[in-house]
Amino acid sequence: MASHSIRVIASTAKVNLIMTWRFFSWTGFALRFFTPLMTLGAAWILYNVVYARQTLPLGFGAVIGSSGYLSFITVGNAFYVFVFAAAFVVGRVMFWERATGTIEATFMTPMSRLAYMSGIMLAAATNSLIDFAAVFILGLAFGFQIALLNAPLFLSSLLLTAFGLFGIGLITNAITLTFRDRTTTANSLMILFMVFCGLVCPVELMPPWAQLISKALPLTYGVRLMRASLLGIVTVDPMHDIATLLVLDAIYVVIGAITLAQIEKNLRKKALFSIF
Amino acid sequence: MFTRVVFAEAVKSLKVYFFSSRTLFWALALPLGNGLYLYFLYLPFATKSVDLQFGATTYTIDLVGFTIIGQLLYSFFTMMLLAGASFDAERWQGTLEVLLLSPASRVAILLGGALANAVNYVWMLVALVLSWVAFIHVSIFVTDPLALCGSLLLSYLAMMALGMCLETVDVYSRRGSIFTAWLQEPVMFLSGQIFPLQSLPVSLLPLSYLLPLTFGLMAVRLTLLGGASIYDVRMPLATLASMTLIFFILASLLVNYAERRAKTKATLTQF
Repeated sequence: MASHSIRVIASTAKVNLIMTWRFFSWTGFALRFFTPLMTLGAAWILYNVVYARQTLPLGFGAVIGSSGYLSFITVGNAFYVFVFAAAFVVGRVMFWERATGTIEATFMTPMSRLAYMSGIMLAAATNSLIDFAAVFILGLAFGFQIALLNAPLFLSSLLLTAFGLFGIGLITNAITLTFRDRTTTANSLMILFMVFCGLVCPVELMPPWAQLISKALPLTYGVRLMRASLLGIVTVDPMHDIATLLVLDAIYVVIGAITLAQIEKNLRKKALFSIF
Repeated sequence: MFTRVVFAEAVKSLKVYFFSSRTLFWALALPLGNGLYLYFLYLPFATKSVDLQFGATTYTIDLVGFTIIGQLLYSFFTMMLLAGASFDAERWQGTLEVLLLSPASRVAILLGGALANAVNYVWMLVALVLSWVAFIHVSIFVTDPLALCGSLLLSYLAMMALGMCLETVDVYSRRGSIFTAWLQEPVMFLSGQIFPLQSLPVSLLPLSYLLPLTFGLMAVRLTLLGGASIYDVRMPLATLASMTLIFFILASLLVNYAERRAKTKATLTQF
């Protein structure tokens, strides 16, 4: 059973990587950098021109443990691009299966659905690393500097975030299958992540209601760990964040797996798989 | 005939899209999310107001108001961009050829689509009123209601006319929706939605001045939050009126060109 699942993961990842690069589109690739470029540019202008390097009276550095505002923004945006590139693919699997007419065949196979989705996640995360690295390179032009690299923490933050995205992807696909929407669910989730996980502003500075939402998102802890690993932030307790991220990841994956299985069962019963 | 086509196209689009997940996302979730995102971008800074320079005067404007007005007009712009997607939908459904075989005025079809999207924008307006209530400390400073009404009306008309021009891309090309997606962030950046226009590098200003959103933001922010009179904002208002006329004429020329090209090349229904 385990070896079968591993074969499913490997073959699905391989197919998806081939598909991505065979039908590579420069316009689609460039489009993924528009939001981070706009944010980096806007942050640079706000910091250097509009407010002439003033920061928060409470002390931006005191809240974050680092005073590099533009480095803070760059890491947030690189993280967002990683999340976007991965979630964009994983969150739309069922939509594309339905659109290309392969959804019934896919669900007729005896493979584990989780293994199938893991394969897609693996391919998406691999591809996302290119976008992720590209934003750091772009960030150099805006003043990004690595203060102190903590490689194990950096890798942990990437892996655990990918695991959380996998859980979110499962839930998104379950919703897509049920409501037969095209991309609205995935897009709305992206907005939620973009706004509340602290990409452009420390969560501590957000209004209390926004902090509540951000605490429920695994990506909040992922981006905080990533910043800690690159910017030498000492105010973050990595073990606490890793533990919280692990718990949230597990919750999301379990909810996603159960929901997807239930919805598959329901769709089979009502023969609604390929209905738009 | 022209009015009937406009009305029929608008009613059709409203019936299909008014309460769809697509409209709720574009007219509600995205503007609210973007608005909060931009507001949060300002949070690490000490000052909670923005200095807006216009001519020789500097207006100090409340940050929340600055962000909300930015989002109010930008959302209308995205709704106009989205109007072109109705041609994409016609293509998907296989009805685009039939639509363009009819003797209906193409400009009327464009106008109907743009009007429907303007009505779909009501979701954003409701959200705006609610957020205005939530952020009760937004300091509104209106000295000339006529200037405010004129600014809003001319901004919407100019953006609707530009929207009609952009709709023609969807008739001509199958990549219309990609083109729409490409426009969003550059327009946000160049129009002064995120930060005051005087902070933008001078080399980029000519691009900003091509956008009706730039002048709309200028006029509405100054009249609603800065207490400017109609005399103060006469320049942006005149520019918006000129843009409305120019874009409307351009749209009628472009739609004929796009249709002719697509028919010659037989690409109307190709994906």
